[in-house]
Amino acid sequence: MIGTSSALFGAVVLLVLILGWIRAESRSRHLPYGRDGWVPDENDAAELCPPEFVSQIFSGQDLTFISRLESPDLKRHFLRERSAVALLWVQQTTAGVRRIMGRHLEASRLSADIEFATEASIFLQYAQLRLICAVLFLLIGLAGPQRLHGIPLRADILTQRICNVLREFESGARAREMNGARSS
Amino acid sequence: MNAAVKLVPVQEAYDDLLNRTLSRVSCDLGRLIYLASTRDYNTGNYYHEGLVSRFSPEVARKALEIAHRQAFYKVSAFSLEDLVSDLEAYMRSTRENPQEFLRAWQKLEPYRVAIPTEVNLTVARLFTSNVRLALAILRFRQEPSHSRR
Repeated sequence: MIGTSSALFGAVVLLVLILGWIRAESRSRHLPYGRDGWVPDENDAAELCPPEFVSQIFSGQDLTFISRLESPDLKRHFLRERSAVALLWVQQTTAGVRRIMGRHLEASRLSADIEFATEASIFLQYAQLRLICAVLFLLIGLAGPQRLHGIPLRADILTQRICNVLREFESGARAREMNGARSS
Repeated sequence: MNAAVKLVPVQEAYDDLLNRTLSRVSCDLGRLIYLASTRDYNTGNYYHEGLVSRFSPEVARKALEIAHRQAFYKVSAFSLEDLVSDLEAYMRSTRENPQEFLRAWQKLEPYRVAIPTEVNLTVARLFTSNVRLALAILRFRQEPSHSRR
């Protein structure tokens, strides 16, 4: 009996997750700046969103203002628009960090002295960020961005941390290269 | 010439633009639209007659580009409530019929050309989304059923 009810519960949860994913996918496909629309060049797209805007996208302040207007149509319009922006942020963050990690992997392959602890820490933070982005992608469609305020901020902090570590790695590698060139 | 030397005239041109021209525009959205209008649609280069007469074309172009990007990020960071007020102020400053203005802006979306070239994609999307919402709110406020309340 317990087995059947847990299986049923599991199936319902899975169904909700799949529905949420499909909803998020279809919303992100209708973003005005999709593949068919105007897209700034690669470098601009890679630039990470400033933290104050991340906070704004997921804040409840605008929803409070909209709610005061007592128009269900406007509220629906707002929720649709803000979810689309939030999904774009998730996609942009994922793509940006993936690109940065790709560059880092390329640099590490060429580097002679790799520190295992640093690499493991970068990888763990990257995996954590990817997981948060996947969860956000799902939850934005199900709950709306305003209820998730803390999670994007955590993702943003992780992104900044990964970028800082990689920046340090790159400057360290450059310094080692220069020292090597000087001594040879 | 190094970058540090170049920055001084750009700062001067930027201050000049701020004090002589932009200070006369009553709202932030108006300043953004004005700065976007100094950009050539075909080349993406900025040009301002007054600035070019006092500074080199390159310095004037750079100052306009920086001012445009700053004005864009400022308006994009507005809360929806502030953006509605600013858009209303801009609409009044044009002296056009409000209904015609709102209809044209909703249909033609001229605010899209106000986005600078090198800005974050998400912020650009947030800007267009917020302007669309602000227009819908102003239109809602103009509806007779709402004004009777």
